[in-house]
Amino acid sequence: MEGIRSGAVSAHHNYMISGMLRPGFLVGDPGSAKGFYLLADFLLPGENTPRISGRFFDERGDMLLELTWNRLMLDPADCLYRPTPYGFHLSKSSGEIILETTTRRFPNGYITSFSGRLYDEKGVLKLDQEGSSARLVGNDSIMLTAPYQGCFGKEKKNA
Amino acid sequence: MDRGTCLVWVFGDYADYFQNRVTLQLIAKGKALASELGTRVGVVVLGEDIGQYVMEYVAHGADVIYAADNNALKDYDVELFTAVAASWVEIFRPEIFLAGATAFGRELFPRIAKRLRTGLSADCVALEIDRETGAFVQTTPAFGGDLLADVVTPVMRPQMATVHPGIFRELPHDPFALAELIHPPLPNLPERKIEVVRRRKEKARRASLTDAGVVIVGGKGVGSRANFDKLFQLAELLGGEVGATRPAVNAGWAGEERLLGQTGKSVRPRLLITIGTSGALQYTAGIRGSETVIAVNRDHSAPIFGLADLGIVGDADRILSLLIEELNRRL
Repeated sequence: MEGIRSGAVSAHHNYMISGMLRPGFLVGDPGSAKGFYLLADFLLPGENTPRISGRFFDERGDMLLELTWNRLMLDPADCLYRPTPYGFHLSKSSGEIILETTTRRFPNGYITSFSGRLYDEKGVLKLDQEGSSARLVGNDSIMLTAPYQGCFGKEKKNA
Repeated sequence: MDRGTCLVWVFGDYADYFQNRVTLQLIAKGKALASELGTRVGVVVLGEDIGQYVMEYVAHGADVIYAADNNALKDYDVELFTAVAASWVEIFRPEIFLAGATAFGRELFPRIAKRLRTGLSADCVALEIDRETGAFVQTTPAFGGDLLADVVTPVMRPQMATVHPGIFRELPHDPFALAELIHPPLPNLPERKIEVVRRRKEKARRASLTDAGVVIVGGKGVGSRANFDKLFQLAELLGGEVGATRPAVNAGWAGEERLLGQTGKSVRPRLLITIGTSGALQYTAGIRGSETVIAVNRDHSAPIFGLADLGIVGDADRILSLLIEELNRRL
């Protein structure tokens, strides 16, 4: 019998990750200049599109891309960002999926789920595919119950 | 985690959602009870792909959600749900556990109560905390509905009750709400004995009685099917719905879906006009939350006048005809 898992849940929008709803979450440090991070930002009522940011690497630790609030900002590996009717998908130039988001809309709310595999700058697996959904690997994620207020690496460097 | 801070639980019955609002109504009542007890209200949600229901319960006031999102629970199965809910009660020890008196709630809660060897008050029409003793008082019709009994469960826990839909008013939807989400462990589940092959929606048109702002109710005193049909004319003129007492339903003047009271629906309209009804407790249990009640009855000593804000002593058919005529003239 597994233990008790707990967190928070929003009435407006949640991400389905590791089998649980979360209003937002962060893995890694968006303020770092080079390291891996994945930010699924908290949405306020009125905001209908999930905001995803991150710096992703391949299994060898080579940088693939940097995404800031759903916009591809750095793309050293010629990856492809493609919006879909339900979210977006990111793929390598080979066509291999890096990350895909899907947002389901209900009469009074939204749930966004992920699929894909993400690695950090050391090639360590951080997000894995489990059946039809994704799970975070490790225990270093932070749950967000308010919009992310920190800065991103580039801004910090310039500050 | 502090397990002592959520002592009022509600079973999340999402079948037929959004028509079925009883869980939302119980969350609102549970929140009021929890506030009096200095604790929080939690909702137990079992099933598969339950995210949207969880979020609705949060938006309507749930402080804590106890959830199991599992393929094994994809269909309402009373044995599996009993096993899970009972095991979670044993972990978290809530003081109060409420469910809607829906078809499933009425099947599930006696089993959970039996499993936990605690008491259950069925089909309650009122719930409150006694300010002097601190007891949780569950008011339920007794002796065939001739009496309303106040029931307390002094020793065993949780104190369990099922409640009619429409008795309490739900809180408004708050999209800013946040709640604690807990995934307790699942116990070893018993083998599923029932396989749901398919679901079929009932074809009969259901009256939206529980949501109507104006309800016209007819009893045996209306006199005939033809007279009863005039209630529908009156309801249409007032933008309302028609309800019926048990004798009127038994007479075949209205379908079972319009039955109000202990064995039917409960309503809380702004205006309820009750015509040819004596005021038996079995019936009035379903209209107690109405804001304004106008009663029409030939017998000036009928108990219904004790509940009414305005009483008209007169023949049901004559008063109905006059009302329809006057409304037709004015509207």
